[in-house]
Amino acid sequence: MKSLGRIILFAAIGAFVLVPLAQTIMTSFVSTLPRSGIVEGHFSLINYQNISHSAVLKQAILNSIIYVVLNVVLCLGVGLPAAYAFARYSFVGDRQLFFLLLVFRITPTVVLSLPIFVLFAQIGLENTPVGIALVHCVFNIPIAIWILEGFIASVPREFDETAFLDGHSLPSFFFRHLVPAIAPGIGVTAFFCFIFSWVEVVLARILTTTGGKPITMAINALFGFRTDFGLVTAMTVLALVPGVAMIYFVRNHLAKGFVIRT
Amino acid sequence: MKPYDNSAWFLVLPALVIVTFVGILPLVAVTNYSFQDLFSLNNPYWVGIDWYRNIVTSERFYASLGRSFLFSAIVLSIQLPLGIWIALLLQRSHRFIVSTVLVLITVPLVVPWNMIPVIWLNFINPNMGLAGRMLAWLGVGFDYKFNALHTWIVLVVMDTWHWLGLVVVLAYAGISSIPPAYYQAAAIDAASPWQVFRFIQLPKMKTVLSMALLLRFMDSFMIYIEAFRINAGGPDSATAFLSLDLGEEIQAFNYGPSAARSIVYFLIVLTIAWSFKAATSMRAPVTMAPAK
Repeated sequence: MKSLGRIILFAAIGAFVLVPLAQTIMTSFVSTLPRSGIVEGHFSLINYQNISHSAVLKQAILNSIIYVVLNVVLCLGVGLPAAYAFARYSFVGDRQLFFLLLVFRITPTVVLSLPIFVLFAQIGLENTPVGIALVHCVFNIPIAIWILEGFIASVPREFDETAFLDGHSLPSFFFRHLVPAIAPGIGVTAFFCFIFSWVEVVLARILTTTGGKPITMAINALFGFRTDFGLVTAMTVLALVPGVAMIYFVRNHLAKGFVIRT
Repeated sequence: MKPYDNSAWFLVLPALVIVTFVGILPLVAVTNYSFQDLFSLNNPYWVGIDWYRNIVTSERFYASLGRSFLFSAIVLSIQLPLGIWIALLLQRSHRFIVSTVLVLITVPLVVPWNMIPVIWLNFINPNMGLAGRMLAWLGVGFDYKFNALHTWIVLVVMDTWHWLGLVVVLAYAGISSIPPAYYQAAAIDAASPWQVFRFIQLPKMKTVLSMALLLRFMDSFMIYIEAFRINAGGPDSATAFLSLDLGEEIQAFNYGPSAARSIVYFLIVLTIAWSFKAATSMRAPVTMAPAK
């Protein structure tokens, strides 16, 4: 009886999550504007065809992928050595530095949007995916360090010492031993950096007023006097695909990434 | 104990350089602007603390602050207990169910933030939306545009839809780090389920739960794009939260006032982070052992 109640509850949660989405997915397969040859409100792939014919929308998808990949690589690249330092050593100011990272992780992007806009406009980093990739580091580097540190700390110290005795240098130890040993941790870190960067819109908007627009801003630009709502929902569905795929890949490690100190 | 070695700074340096560049430097620049009247960025006129005085003496600021606190309080009192409860049920479930529920519940986390209100407005639309038509059919006079209570309900439900997954993932991570020996010991002592929760599970989940609390508090306290798109702070400013005031001023390119407001809000964040740290390290002076 007890497990039946649990299943019903889980089904209710699933419905709560999926039903609002289902409506959006359904709309994306329907022509929402009067067009010759297609009945309005009937099943159609017209929205997806329109995306594949639109250079602007395809460029936006590409921009999103460029900035998000760049951001994940950057965060892993600087996050891994930093996480190693936090996990293995204590040093002057380590607590203060950890606190600073925590502060920047929780600072809402709208609070930083004006300062960043002013600074990036002055040094010519606006309207490019590189600018967005850099800016998103402000909340993703702390996340990367936080998750990776937990995974590194769960590897016994002897593991490092053996490698160093075998004559490995620090970079060679990182790539040949540490990265394979915490591979699930790298995956979980990449996942969280990916989603937090992918969904962020406030900084992405203020930095791409005239060009370099990611998917989210391209969708914003679709709203107008006579919005093609089907096209909007089709772009939204496409924007979900990479994230859902990543969730699927890390599903068994998802919960492990957070068993960590604060 | 970890060895003391200051050359570890070389390892954290690259991360620190980037965070300085995209976090600290902009804040320093904007502090400068907050003391000036900038018709354009090339024409600064020193006004001292005028912008700050305007903010802290305006009734609107305190009203928004109050609304933001209320929203956070409601959101936390729903999402935290619900998330913990789901995590507890998951812990006793089959592996396959666990990963299915975790995958499902984290899907809203990957929806771009500007699309979340679009999805929900679509969903509650009285003519086309599934929920909207359902409510109309039930005879509920649901009007999120002009009824403040209904706008609040939409925002709270939408926020729960969006973020419940994060709380569940964090809570489940905490629970699954508990070694089975703890439960065996509890069984030998004939502990009730409540005692197991109160004295084993809750203490073990403390670290991740405090993180969930902090993240959820901060994000709901400064909710911006989602709230703005639903009703732009309305009806009659009933959902005008702190961030909406700031967003309004940035949109209007009032450099000075919005710079001052950014600094005030950052100080609020700093205070919250600091008191959070003080509260958690008082009770747990040493870091917990890593999970195996």
